[in-house]
Amino acid sequence: MSYLLSGLNIQNISEYDYTQSYNKYDIIDFQLNAEKSIYPSYTGLGGTGLLFWFNNEYIESFDLDLNNNIISWKNKYAIIEDEDQQYANLLQLSDETLRPFVNFNNNYIELFEDQFLSGSGFDCPEKTIFICFNASSNQDNNSVQNIFRFDREDGWAESNFGTGPSGYLRIKGKDSLGESKIIIDEQEFNAICPIYDTLNIITLIQESGTSGPSGPVITIRQNGKELGNYYDYYSGWLSGFIKLGDTNNSNGVKYYDMFCFSGVLSESELDSYEKYLFEEYFDSDGLYFAKKDVPAGFSKSPLGYTGSDYWTRNIDDLFKLSYGSSAEFSAKLSKSNFGDGYQSNISRNINSLNSVFSLNYDGLTDAQAKCLITYFENTPEAKVKSLYEGFSGVSMNLFQPYKKNAELYFLDIDHSTPYNNINNISIKAESLYDSNLDYRGMLVQLDDLNIRTYSDDLEGFEYNDVVYVESIFFSERGYYYYTGAKTNGVISENNGPLGNDSHFTKEFYFKQDVDYSIPEQIRLVNIDYESSTKEYLKDGINYNNLEFNLSFSNRSNKEARALLKFFDDKAGFKIFRYTLPQPYNKEIDVYCPEWSHTYNFYNNNDIRVKFTQFKAKSLEFTNFNTKIDFVSI
Amino acid sequence: MAKFINYRNIDFKINSQNFYSSQINLSASASVDAVVLSDGSLLNYAPSSAVVGSLDCDFYLTGSLPSFLNVTGIDESAVSVSFADVTITGAYPKSISFNVEPFQPILISASFDWYGNVKVEGFKEQGVLKRLRKETPEYIANAYKSYLDKESIFGSSGQDGSSGGAGQAVDTLGDIVSFSYSSSCDRPSFFNVDEVIPSRVAKLNKQCEINLSSNNLGKLVSINGKNATTTIYLKDFYGTSLSSFQVSGVLSNQSYNVSNGQYLLAEASIQQTVTERKTLV
Repeated sequence: MSYLLSGLNIQNISEYDYTQSYNKYDIIDFQLNAEKSIYPSYTGLGGTGLLFWFNNEYIESFDLDLNNNIISWKNKYAIIEDEDQQYANLLQLSDETLRPFVNFNNNYIELFEDQFLSGSGFDCPEKTIFICFNASSNQDNNSVQNIFRFDREDGWAESNFGTGPSGYLRIKGKDSLGESKIIIDEQEFNAICPIYDTLNIITLIQESGTSGPSGPVITIRQNGKELGNYYDYYSGWLSGFIKLGDTNNSNGVKYYDMFCFSGVLSESELDSYEKYLFEEYFDSDGLYFAKKDVPAGFSKSPLGYTGSDYWTRNIDDLFKLSYGSSAEFSAKLSKSNFGDGYQSNISRNINSLNSVFSLNYDGLTDAQAKCLITYFENTPEAKVKSLYEGFSGVSMNLFQPYKKNAELYFLDIDHSTPYNNINNISIKAESLYDSNLDYRGMLVQLDDLNIRTYSDDLEGFEYNDVVYVESIFFSERGYYYYTGAKTNGVISENNGPLGNDSHFTKEFYFKQDVDYSIPEQIRLVNIDYESSTKEYLKDGINYNNLEFNLSFSNRSNKEARALLKFFDDKAGFKIFRYTLPQPYNKEIDVYCPEWSHTYNFYNNNDIRVKFTQFKAKSLEFTNFNTKIDFVSI
Repeated sequence: MAKFINYRNIDFKINSQNFYSSQINLSASASVDAVVLSDGSLLNYAPSSAVVGSLDCDFYLTGSLPSFLNVTGIDESAVSVSFADVTITGAYPKSISFNVEPFQPILISASFDWYGNVKVEGFKEQGVLKRLRKETPEYIANAYKSYLDKESIFGSSGQDGSSGGAGQAVDTLGDIVSFSYSSSCDRPSFFNVDEVIPSRVAKLNKQCEINLSSNNLGKLVSINGKNATTTIYLKDFYGTSLSSFQVSGVLSNQSYNVSNGQYLLAEASIQQTVTERKTLV
């Protein structure tokens, strides 16, 4: 059993078996095969028979020229007894311009077009070759891409036989089941997994026919699944010259790992070494969730051609959020009080909002609940974002009006079952990477669909529409809210966002609910005379600063979008003008450090906000709203 | 002048199957809240839930009751209902009931919740030919031959759910005068965001109940009631079996009514909470 499964609080999840069918919401642990991964040079089982091994694990694996181009890729497997063969190198030969560049941030080398690496001394009549590569797609599906070939020496076969007898491994064809081909010499095999723009493990088991089979045969496997046998292979396979590359692909082929054992390995050994490559380079192991009923068959496996039609790790493929989902925002501010009621708020960083979502999934069946709880429990197993960050969050669509490509970290889950086979689940999740430097917004974003970029020919406006106005002047740039009558046409320049009789506003124009309460506390200093009395003194000036909560209940989706965009744009610390309700009716400066939103039902949103009065002149330079365009030169 | 559309022999179909209905009621209700702003103005009326429709109908049982009307079963799927050129595709049965009175045909009452759009402005006068050509049912359930199995209602030992034991007299039911049956469940609806038609209409609180009148109900109930299991057999006037309904529950209410000049009449109700064991997932 995978350690993943033992770490879950859910039973009845098994490792994937492509001979089985599965039901929608079933969960599998995909591990390529059930064998243990074995490092190719591991000698704990006795002699390895390892003939050569090329990978990108260490910089010492390469001889480089001054331009970081590869002179040679060293055979990782050192043959101690024979000093001459300790480094049986694959060398780029005479033409220095064809040497491939090595990028030390990558765990592969990439060979384009006619770039290649070649070397001699690898002859073995019976061998088992493992290669892990990623071939880019080519515009011409029928062009054949070379992966590698065996021959007596470079060009020998061409000069003597024309099309053979080099021993070739190649790929070609449109990337679909039945059309993509993996080719040994001239023999084509139907690929069962995608062959372009994805990692592939190809295993070739070459037998001479002197023992076992009746004649020379190469058995080919793709990602652990046997594709077939090829009898009477070309004589090049018996020679010791290898040429890696010369791919005929201008988009390149990435070579991750290639190693070869002398002799024919057992089935369990094949599985173990394929498992090593799979675990080392693929990011495909772990849990998958069935988004529909899955018939048996390898092509339906997560690596197979139709696997993505059946299996997913995308939560949006499995579940949709329910009403009652909510969001809470609070600004991360460094606040300084200067006395006399003056203060400053400085955003601590560019991710200035603490954004926590409560994601509701109601009315789930037991099978759905099992799937969602497992998904939740497994989220820390996501791949690491980078060397300097933790694991990736869950990429998902949030509810309106929030962005569709949010990355959330699932924190808590609350699961309740009101009745047999009815489950309600609420997941608390946090969004971390929403930058207040992004002019499109943090979580309520300019998407040119619901929030559009204004232009003179933009048509169709309704009350509470939000538009973004681009301008070279900072004071004009930003989000404007339409407060005019509904129109299907364009807005005249005079009524436009920057017009003299504008139907747009940048101010806070929303009206709170009829029921409101505004508490007020006078800021006083008191002197407590012991055993006598107190004396109250006013604490400087501006002692009547307000801090109050307002509600905007049952608001339409459009008004909620405008409201939440307004607060999102203010990022929790920017100052805006607000007119107090009856009986105050005074316009004051406030900022909104906290707000929450609940999506009750379609066109029914509750928004609660906290306003804090700010006693200082609103200075526009407190806003950092620079739009930076990156252009290539 | 008002135009009244006359209907006879209502064309009523559930899942394309004809039902000989005597009446159908269709209604819908929207839940809205007024949004009043701080300046005293009314912004709008906001929906707090989906439009939930209700459909009640009475029909004669002319065959076995189809499985999609088994409200206490595990099938939660919607049925389509059509009558008078109105079609509702998202109807969810939530109760059925019937009374068995001496010599009366048996009329099934069914009620549904429904969601989604329904076109109600297209009511048309019923076609005369269509009405005349309507097939008449071969069988109609009638109380004449239908009965409730009273022999095994308390089991062979006459156990009362609390004590029982050797030497105890067998608890028996007298002659049944009439009885009724009902089964029901709640249909909570669940919605995905941005949708107003539910993604699931589940079932919970599934109940069956039989009310019966008899001249004798045997021993009086104890604190645990009386375990009671029985089956209702519905047949047509000539004894053709049409449908049966089993209830395995507890007889919890028992009453004896005697009034001057009348016969003694005992009434009781047998209730069953319908459950199903969880399927291991």
